[in-house]
Amino acid sequence: MDLVKISNQFKLMLCVGVLILTGQLVSSGASPIVALPGMLIIILLSMVALILKDLIPWRLPAFAWATFIAFVLTLPMLPTSDFLLGYINKVGFLATTTPILAFAGISVGNKIGVLKKISWKLVIIALVVFTSTFFGSAIIAQILLTVQGTI
Amino acid sequence: MTEKETLSWKGRSGVFLPLLAVVIVLVIISELIGIIKISLGPGTVVLLPMLFAVIMGMLITPAILGKRISALKKLVNDDTMELAGVGVMIALIPLGVRYGTLVGPNIVKVLEAGPALILQELGNLLTPVIAIPLALLLGLKREAVGAAVSICREPTLGVIGEKYGMDSPEGNGVLGTYMVGTVFGTIFFGFLGSLAINTGLHPYALAMATGVGSGSMMAAGSAALAATVPAAIKDTVLAYAATSNMLTGITGIYSVIFIALPFTNWYYKKIAPKFEKKGTPVEVQGGE
Repeated sequence: MDLVKISNQFKLMLCVGVLILTGQLVSSGASPIVALPGMLIIILLSMVALILKDLIPWRLPAFAWATFIAFVLTLPMLPTSDFLLGYINKVGFLATTTPILAFAGISVGNKIGVLKKISWKLVIIALVVFTSTFFGSAIIAQILLTVQGTI
Repeated sequence: MTEKETLSWKGRSGVFLPLLAVVIVLVIISELIGIIKISLGPGTVVLLPMLFAVIMGMLITPAILGKRISALKKLVNDDTMELAGVGVMIALIPLGVRYGTLVGPNIVKVLEAGPALILQELGNLLTPVIAIPLALLLGLKREAVGAAVSICREPTLGVIGEKYGMDSPEGNGVLGTYMVGTVFGTIFFGFLGSLAINTGLHPYALAMATGVGSGSMMAAGSAALAATVPAAIKDTVLAYAATSNMLTGITGIYSVIFIALPFTNWYYKKIAPKFEKKGTPVEVQGGE
């Protein structure tokens, strides 16, 4: 385990926490103090996800690890569920998305040049790929959910 | 610079502080704008703060406004953009946790939808079926296989790169879809997610479809979708999206290796000759 890397990831994660709470304060007026315990729990679980990603060689992205850990800990039959949800639900869902995309927008700045070199044909194909992947999955899901009687 | 070096603060406050300052300003402006709903023909487009954040983020880079405003260029330079890339990776993980906390309490509904959740992954095979003929019509050759094999996130990039090399036509194709996805993916899925409800497909089916294996695209698509559904099913919609995305995270690379790529190659060989023009034989080999 690389402790230097982990501590640096942790520092940046704390900054992300500040960004999320600031965004939430601006959007809904929610007090950062009230949301702070939930934010710290989220950061702790996020660090566990990052560490597991490096320790376990399943090629599973840290994002999927994070979803998996939080999913297991908030299963209704576990005693951790009510405790964790009580705090974590104070952190708005949408507020966690805005900092990601602010970073993402800046990070693609140096790729816009590469994009200009890509043939317009491949750009069209890419958009068709996104659209058909999305609707391909949606149509199969729709059929199966209907067959299952879920919808 | 390696990821570890990029993450290190030592002697790099001059990179971290400007980036964090810029990002906090972008977050505040985006949240002040808030959620905007625009009626558009039969449906509503929902514009979430994250959309404003990504667009403003792109605008202030040297590629766009930075080259005109020199103060901006000092703030957002190559080092800043590289660190921002690592920032995306770190900032995504709390969102992953947040999604997990939507799945756990909804476990009964997720299990009920189990078979649909797992099998909808096969919907990805529709991608080459539609995109390969179109690519051939446009005159592309083996690039088509790389570009249309899947939505081309990192696992696909790895598989194609290993098998054909990144400088091969297939590598060129996969890089094209990957780059377009990186730059426009979240914006595109944000629009798809908010407009898709007008197709008449059930929000649950659409939710599963947003789980394409990229955390940020799933977030953009599912959050936009959730903003268009009744409040009572909002959490279920997000839970289905998150579960679908988690499953894609687990199965993604294997489904590319064992299903999508062999299928795409087989399909390409079958239909490419039909698009062949006189005197320009279509390359159907391309490594095996």
